Amino acid sequence: MRRFGAAVVSLVVFLLAWKVVVLLGDYPDYILPAPEAVVERGIRAVQSGVLWEHTAATLIEVVLGFGLGASVAIVVGTALGKSILIERALSPYIVAAQAVPILALAPLLDIWFGGGLLARVAICALIVFFPIAIATMVGIRSTDPLLDEMLRSLGATAPQRTRLLEIPSALPVIFGGLRVGVTLAVIGAVVAEWAGARTGLGVLVLIANQGLFDTELMFVALATLAIIGLVFYGLVVLVERRLVSR
Amino acid sequence: MSPSRFAILPLVLILAACGPEPVPSTLELRPVTLLLGYRPDVQFAPFYVAQQEGFYADAGLDVTIEHRQAPDVQRLVADGQAEFGVADATDVMIARTSGIPIRYVSTLYRSFPVALIGPGDVVPADPSGLAGLSIGTPGRFGSSWHALLALLDAGGLAEADVEIREYPQFNQVDGLANGDVDLITGFRNNEPLRLEERIGAVGILTVDDAAPLPGPGVIAGDELLAGDPDLVRAFIAATAAAQAAVIDDPALGFAAAEVAVPTIGEEPEVARAILDATVDLWAGDGFESGAIDEALWRAGYETMQRLGFIDGSVPLEEMIAPLEP
Repeated sequence: MRRFGAAVVSLVVFLLAWKVVVLLGDYPDYILPAPEAVVERGIRAVQSGVLWEHTAATLIEVVLGFGLGASVAIVVGTALGKSILIERALSPYIVAAQAVPILALAPLLDIWFGGGLLARVAICALIVFFPIAIATMVGIRSTDPLLDEMLRSLGATAPQRTRLLEIPSALPVIFGGLRVGVTLAVIGAVVAEWAGARTGLGVLVLIANQGLFDTELMFVALATLAIIGLVFYGLVVLVERRLVSR
Repeated sequence: MSPSRFAILPLVLILAACGPEPVPSTLELRPVTLLLGYRPDVQFAPFYVAQQEGFYADAGLDVTIEHRQAPDVQRLVADGQAEFGVADATDVMIARTSGIPIRYVSTLYRSFPVALIGPGDVVPADPSGLAGLSIGTPGRFGSSWHALLALLDAGGLAEADVEIREYPQFNQVDGLANGDVDLITGFRNNEPLRLEERIGAVGILTVDDAAPLPGPGVIAGDELLAGDPDLVRAFIAATAAAQAAVIDDPALGFAAAEVAVPTIGEEPEVARAILDATVDLWAGDGFESGAIDEALWRAGYETMQRLGFIDGSVPLEEMIAPLEP
């Protein structure tokens, strides 16, 4: 209850600060709309169905992109953590892929994957991959060597050691990567939509900003993206609390 | 300051007083900011010429050119953060209807620069032939989208009669070359030149013949127009004069662009061809540098209203400001 109260107070303070900035700066709506104007525009966007149409598209991309990216990253991260040879062979490519600006690569990925949902999920998964893979690798390597030695002495096979010791002991670090990855998934979905999409909150931002000159609607789309990020982050934290003993 | 420096101060003052008449400096010119909604490009040659060849200075202006994202131009000009900008006329109609206090004050393009482009044997002779084709466009915004819907409307077609694919990063040329779409929206002075190298003979379906829309031009904010109309007159007259000079002598425009556009040296022949094609779009039939064709604006306004981009709540007269010299 106290945590909920703190969140509400924080939100109120944020909205008040926003309102004060608008008043002091005397900004017109097309430069910085007031919070109540954004809320009013958001209600209209919900009533017309526009917001849900675009939100649903982005949600699908985030869920699929994060699911794919995280799954592959945990498998690859585990391999990297267990084998120095694999790390030496793959890490230059993984780091290089991370260093390339995805915004520049996304339009090409969109064409290579033939556009559509597959392309957007692939772009989203690519952004999600790196932090989770690296976190998994670091987590696997942080396994207590004495416990590993004990399992070996008991005759545990390599898959058994991974399942019973390495993965569980790496979980806190892996969840650190998942927390970062899930927020990146939202950014990835928007980048993917900017590379080519008909619907999605990223598309709504473009249409509101460049097509309708509707700054309030653009803020509505941005606020919805922020809420999606917060909700998914919260879900990862919830799962972490269930799985990781403290 | 040391005593010895104090000693030479009178001598410095005397020499300064005996010197020649001070040359008028840029400090005496009125500083003005112009926003262009695209990266530095040869198509902006009139502005580069006006700046480099003294057209603006002769008009008492010290113009700073900044390149920004297209939708920011309208907002910044309306807010007074820049005096002038270059914007699509169709965007001006929407922005003005959305409450952004800007007006179109001077025409740059007599012809609408966006057209449907594709292989010569695929582009139909008239808009009704677009039915069933797939068309790539940056998105459901901007002059490309307006042109596409205006053409479909002129052909008696609806959006559902064609397959539309979005390329928000403006890479629809790649999509066409890749065979993903039949046609693309693009600028008549640019994309056809780049496409010919990749797909051979290129055809064009223009808006001008089927559904006339006013082209890009100079915009100014309501506040500036009300407070200092002479400044607006001076700017558009100098710009129009520079544009006329480039139309007369494209080499002048290319030389100015060579100074202002860092990437022009990579493909100078392409840039030269783009400038030549752009000059054709500026001039058009009945061209008069800078003048606003109100009949064309009225036709475009009606088209934009029919297509649902504007609701007619803001009359045409509040979107344009044809200033008498």
